[in-house]
Amino acid sequence: MEPHLHRPSGALGGGRRDRAADFARGVPLLGWLFGALLAVLLESFFGRDLADFLDLPRVPVLFGFEYALNKPRLIPGTLAFLFLVYALPLLLGARLLRGPANRIARLLAARAPGVALLLHLAFLYGILHLWTEVSDYRLIVAKITLIAVMLTLSLNVVNGFMGEFSCSHPGFMALGAYAGSLVTIVGFTNSAMFGAALLPPALGPVFFPLALLLGGAVAAVGALAVAIPSFRTRGDYLAIISLAFTFIVKSLIENLEIVGGPRGLRGQPDWANLPVVFVCTVICVAMINQFVRSIYGLGLNAVRDNEMAAEAMTINTRRTKMVAFLFAAFWAGVAGVLFAHVLRYVNPGTFGLQQLAEVLAMMYFGGLNSVVGSIVGAVSINLLSEMLRPLEIWKWIFIPLLLILVMIFRPTGLIAFREFDPLAWIAPRDGNGSRERRENSGEGK
Amino acid sequence: MKNVRLCTVLFAVLVAVLGLALFPAAAQKTPVLKIGINAEITGDIPKVGEATKYAAQMYVEDVNKAGGIEVGGKKYRLELAIEDNEAKAESAAKAATKLITVDEVIAIVGPQASKQAVPAGEVCNNYKTPMVSAWSTNPNTTKDRPYVFRACFLDDFQGPALSIFASQEYRFKKAAVLYDVASDYPKGLAEFFKKDWEKRNGPGSVVAYESFTTKDTDFSSQLTKIINSGAEFLFTPQYYNEVPLIVQQAKQLGWKKPILGSDSWASDELVKLCGKDCFGHFFVSHYASAGAKGATKEFIDRYKAKYGSIPDDVAALTWDAIGLIGAAIRNAGKLTGDVKKDREAVRNALAQTKDYPGITGTISFPPGSGDPIKCANIVKINDKGEFEFYKSVCP
Repeated sequence: MEPHLHRPSGALGGGRRDRAADFARGVPLLGWLFGALLAVLLESFFGRDLADFLDLPRVPVLFGFEYALNKPRLIPGTLAFLFLVYALPLLLGARLLRGPANRIARLLAARAPGVALLLHLAFLYGILHLWTEVSDYRLIVAKITLIAVMLTLSLNVVNGFMGEFSCSHPGFMALGAYAGSLVTIVGFTNSAMFGAALLPPALGPVFFPLALLLGGAVAAVGALAVAIPSFRTRGDYLAIISLAFTFIVKSLIENLEIVGGPRGLRGQPDWANLPVVFVCTVICVAMINQFVRSIYGLGLNAVRDNEMAAEAMTINTRRTKMVAFLFAAFWAGVAGVLFAHVLRYVNPGTFGLQQLAEVLAMMYFGGLNSVVGSIVGAVSINLLSEMLRPLEIWKWIFIPLLLILVMIFRPTGLIAFREFDPLAWIAPRDGNGSRERRENSGEGK
Repeated sequence: MKNVRLCTVLFAVLVAVLGLALFPAAAQKTPVLKIGINAEITGDIPKVGEATKYAAQMYVEDVNKAGGIEVGGKKYRLELAIEDNEAKAESAAKAATKLITVDEVIAIVGPQASKQAVPAGEVCNNYKTPMVSAWSTNPNTTKDRPYVFRACFLDDFQGPALSIFASQEYRFKKAAVLYDVASDYPKGLAEFFKKDWEKRNGPGSVVAYESFTTKDTDFSSQLTKIINSGAEFLFTPQYYNEVPLIVQQAKQLGWKKPILGSDSWASDELVKLCGKDCFGHFFVSHYASAGAKGATKEFIDRYKAKYGSIPDDVAALTWDAIGLIGAAIRNAGKLTGDVKKDREAVRNALAQTKDYPGITGTISFPPGSGDPIKCANIVKINDKGEFEFYKSVCP
């Protein structure tokens, strides 16, 4: 879709590619966000009419994959729609607003980097909001995808940054999901299982953050149960202990009649809307990113590379590992609470090996030891699996094949071992882009 | 120069794409009604999804061959929108949302397994879209959800049906139960059975109540206890892939008494996996393929001719589920073309269903409930390995 994807031809090919690269380099992130906002605005105002005009059954919800795979006749129309609604406004918006975007970016980067970050996030949310407003199907896909980002990222803290192989994430998620659900169901809803609400439901949304925190905290306490006995061991042994933990949690819930046993818990209030999930994901990404870039995070990498050497370099390895493990479990728990409230139903069967395999796949696909990698992995696997849904069984041939290819050509994942510096991402990009960035990061330090 | 040429080419491509897009589509004269299928096509239980798909496709072909479905003097063609829910709860919720908001279906059949049907039911109820699960037996699926229905009878009815059968047919007094404590269906059924049996035969009449966990393959310790308890028959409400292991191991340990099962036994695979060891045992079923008569037989013969296998209970129940929807559409009075109003009309017609002649029995919905009133069939696995209708038990 972007111009530099055109195949270069003849002598001028190199030049054209350079120009495309220059163009991409010259636009700051804010410019792309302007373009994307323009695209989603266009879609929400004119999408339906344009779809009618192009003889499409409806606005292509997930880039047309949802029907084009079954009805090839609609592919040209879908392509035209995607070009007119997404590619063209994105490129035009980015190009036309390049100047102002750079100016705003420079102004903000110099005066108030925090405000700049918030502005970008606000834009991102606005785009997501407008995009999901077109269809509720997009909304539920977006919510589940954001939750997957949290899960993948928190798993990456243990499996990527700390270099252990932990399999207890579904267990943490289950603990969080049940703890959070119990708070909201017992506290704020009239349910057949637990009787009338203890507190007025109107107070609920105020308490929801508390439920999220509690879910995270319960998961972290559960993590303590794995961490204490297992950190005397490494590698395979931790994998086995943590796998056992997942099964223990699952069996525990299955046998606890009070929380519904294998039948699950139903009737969570509908509080996990898009803003809540988005804010949680942003806080999760920000905190984990700060954590792994901090001295703790560097210590974590040292433990991964050589525990004995790290100990010799005065790193308290036991404490470092413990902190990272509990931290990861906390976020898995929060993701679990959100998951339960998006589906408004939770049962222990969900938190089994399949869930584990999915999170692991997203993490390895995106890249070890990388915040951006986890985001890319979670988003791409989720969207891909949703877009290819009409293929039914073939989807399960295509996606694993993709994973195998990634493992062959990039054994550590798509974007592995890369630091995520949000300030560099939002820096202005005019003049010679690369120099600008270097100067900027120089100022930052 | 080259730039100009490139621009021309790009422009030409764009024009061509737009032109193709505007090419008039094959005009369809009869208006179309869409029915959604939310089935477990991939994942743990692909056979269930396959049967759902086949039965629904057969129904829709039938209706369309007859010129469509007639509502308020107007004919509509039926169309299926099939979604795979991968046998996952979140995927079922996503698939239901997609069917409702993207495909704008008028009603949905499935998901079939309760793990998927409960969250999908939540979605359907929120969007006020009628949903009929053919196979889900968890009470939560339809409870307090005016838009969600099911075509099968419930666990709390299957348990008593079996205990009535065992006490009337054999005058048994002592029962043994072996069930999977980690799976909600067997567990629920085991509980319902125990409650009813003890009500009939006094406390302590379930002499062995043994459990295991999903994916266990060795049941010898539980079976030894059961054999030593002096039970007169064994009830094991397990899935078709586990039953053969249990039955064969019981036989090896010297068990010769009858084994009774639940509707989860009913799959072609059971006899393939179990062989002769399963012959002569009984289970409760929604329908029986051998010895069927009338419309049921016709369905079985046609399904077999078309897909090459005998339809299992999922296929039969799906046939009834989509049939219920079809009948409700017919009885909806007049369709407005506004899918939200039409869904409301179909839902109201569905709730008033009375004595619908399904192939798994005559189905009625009592007021204010999505759980049907119908009879259970006791099926015997005969000496040829067929599921033979044995007796009908009504509550």
